[in-house]
Amino acid sequence: MSAVAPGQAVTRLAARQVRRPALVVAAVTAGMSALVVATYARTMGDAGAASALAALAGNPAIRTLFGEPVGLDTAGGFTVWRTGTVLAVLLTTWGALATTRVTRGEEEAGRWDLLLAGRLTPAGVLGRHLAVLTAALVSTGILLAGALKASGTPAAGALLHATGLTLAGLTAVAVAACATQVFPTRAGATGATMAFLGVGLLARMIGDGGPAAAWLRWLPPYGPLALTRPYHGDRWAPLLALAVAAAVPAGAALALAGGRDIRAGLLRPPVGRAPRRWLLGSVETFAVRRAARPLAGWSAGIGAYFLLIGLLADSLTGFLADNPRFADLAAQAGFAGLGTVEGYTATLFALLAIPIGAFAAVRLAAFAAAETAGRLTLLRAGPVTGTRLLAAEVATTVAGGAALAAVAAVATWVGTTQVGAGLPLAAALAGTANVLPVALLGGAAATLALGVAPRAVTAIGMLPTAGGFLLTVTADSVHAPPWVGALSPYGHLAAVPATAPNWPATLVMVAGAAALTGAGILSYARRDLRL
Amino acid sequence: MTTPAVRTDQLTKRYGRLLALDRLDLTVPAGEVFGFLGPNGAGKSTTIRLLLGLARPTAGRARIFDVDAGDVAAAHRLLAYVPADVALWPQLTGAELLDLLAATGPGTDTAYRADLVARFDLDLSRPARTYSTGNRQKVALVAAFATRAPLLVLDEPTSGLDPLMELQFRRAVAEARANGQAVFLCSHQLAEVEAVCDRVAILRAGRLVDVATVPELRRLHRSEVTARFTGPAPDLAAVPGVDLLDRADGMLRFALAGPPAAALRALAAADVTALTVREPSLEEIFLDYYGQAEQ
Repeated sequence: MSAVAPGQAVTRLAARQVRRPALVVAAVTAGMSALVVATYARTMGDAGAASALAALAGNPAIRTLFGEPVGLDTAGGFTVWRTGTVLAVLLTTWGALATTRVTRGEEEAGRWDLLLAGRLTPAGVLGRHLAVLTAALVSTGILLAGALKASGTPAAGALLHATGLTLAGLTAVAVAACATQVFPTRAGATGATMAFLGVGLLARMIGDGGPAAAWLRWLPPYGPLALTRPYHGDRWAPLLALAVAAAVPAGAALALAGGRDIRAGLLRPPVGRAPRRWLLGSVETFAVRRAARPLAGWSAGIGAYFLLIGLLADSLTGFLADNPRFADLAAQAGFAGLGTVEGYTATLFALLAIPIGAFAAVRLAAFAAAETAGRLTLLRAGPVTGTRLLAAEVATTVAGGAALAAVAAVATWVGTTQVGAGLPLAAALAGTANVLPVALLGGAAATLALGVAPRAVTAIGMLPTAGGFLLTVTADSVHAPPWVGALSPYGHLAAVPATAPNWPATLVMVAGAAALTGAGILSYARRDLRL
Repeated sequence: MTTPAVRTDQLTKRYGRLLALDRLDLTVPAGEVFGFLGPNGAGKSTTIRLLLGLARPTAGRARIFDVDAGDVAAAHRLLAYVPADVALWPQLTGAELLDLLAATGPGTDTAYRADLVARFDLDLSRPARTYSTGNRQKVALVAAFATRAPLLVLDEPTSGLDPLMELQFRRAVAEARANGQAVFLCSHQLAEVEAVCDRVAILRAGRLVDVATVPELRRLHRSEVTARFTGPAPDLAAVPGVDLLDRADGMLRFALAGPPAAALRALAAADVTALTVREPSLEEIFLDYYGQAEQ
């Protein structure tokens, strides 16, 4: 007889599958918060400056983009305003992706057939996975509260903020778990959960904007976090909405798990369909076909965000132009040049490199996954070299990234035109094209990873974009020596369209990306196919 | 002399400290159906990956119709492949997958493909996500046979097929042979190998043990002889190559290896009433090799 109970064995399996990313997420969450608290004195130490920045609270655009600034006169309040939404998005996105990966992903791959042939019921297996994810998020919350308390902020606010973020993450896990009961594929469940999170984020942004739509902030998972006001009133009641939003879908998922067939969802796609033969003619067109649907999803998300940015341009830049003191303060807080529509859009376009870089990393990681799953084997058995197959994938991904940049530019232009902010389309296109080299570096790093470290494509691919951005923010916050900031591609990015592009830096980045991509394709073609 | 379909020369593959394939020398002439046997982990799949250029040899080389196996753009115009574990894009239907493989492969005889789809009873309207192991194998088999490529590399192609479909598979192999195509067949279904293969290679622990035709293998191996007699039992104890299996009143059953003359002389001393000689099946030959490895 084995010494390990079947339930315990499944719990251990689930823990093994999430522990490493869970540690990274917890470290980033606690570390980033502690860092911002520690640097608060240096950026915002002057009490007069803090209260002046608090006056920004009246501006709907600031509120929409960065959240309602409350309690900026304390280190804790400032930290919540500066990091709260970013960390909430991080925890919810990770929670959702991890949930669909370890539940529907494993089930779709057939590995749950073995687990469920044992003594546990489907609800039991699902419940144990949810318990492990809950434990990961609760531990992150405890670590965060401890870090904030240790940094010297009041315990009550720290606990409230950490509880709120944990509950937001748990809501995402629960909704994802529910989606995995409904959709028979991991991609479908992930897409549905991401749509839920996207709508939630938009609701929070619009609700933050002004009193007319303030009720939208009761919608999970992000809105209630704004209502709790940690370090400034400490209201616990809104968290009840989040607790319900987490408990109901989790309960529904567990109830539904027992009543459906394994490997099937409540949604049953039709068994057969007529062939759709477009773009099957070569490995190049097939790469385009596989990218089309994900690209549409990324375009919808990026387009919606930048449309909102455009719609808010006039209100925000007008306010800052009328109040130069506030513009100075915003610059000190890390949002420089927000006084003109060009400066404002340039600042926000810099962020665009992260989603485009993520698109590239995720596409190339999907290529690596197709290789490991054996789906590339039949293509590679044809008269198609590894070089050609990967080059087609990289070219399609780069074209997709350029398309996303164009979508962002057009969406911003449409938004600014609606409110008469007067940003020419050419300027918007120049602004988004300017950040493409940073995203290209991300795609190039992912390509190199495919050649030399195919297990770590996403992580290595995100280094130049998300990693570079974190490095810039951190270097700015701790006043690191200039060479530290210069390591990040963002350190060399000109504020296009407010200023002219930094051509030498652009050329260096493009050349670097080309060299990395070439090295990646070469090492991919030289290595054995992984199975 | 025509170019062989497959030729390997001291082909060796190491994975770290594991020697997966040790100096394999193998020649498969064009038009031959060649069986490739061996227990699990013997290096069969490694050999196939090297032949397909999906892995690079540590030493030695493999050639497909005199084209280096690493030059896949040229070599893969001459072959089609069915992997042991067929993985397909889950959202594509069977029809879409056959189109994709036809477009990216070495060329397709669409009329023959339609015929094969009907014979293998494949529902092309379903997405691959809903296919069973056998159905995924059928998609790969139909795509491979329809290429009419001069070399077909088939790795455990029938492990998921039912007996009726296996019969269709044997028919398709026979058609390929009649068509002058070479088939490199790796299989654990020894009855199938025996039925379709001209020659058989046996691999063990990364090394080639034997290559021969099936009748040759039989000759080299032990036949089972049953003798019935009246009177005293013949004395076979001193006869070389005889291994007594069973003895009953008036009956002897023994395994015989090598030339039978000595055993027949010993039997002649007794009053033999019936003598049956059964040739070993490929399975018994295989188990013989495998058994030697165990000892």
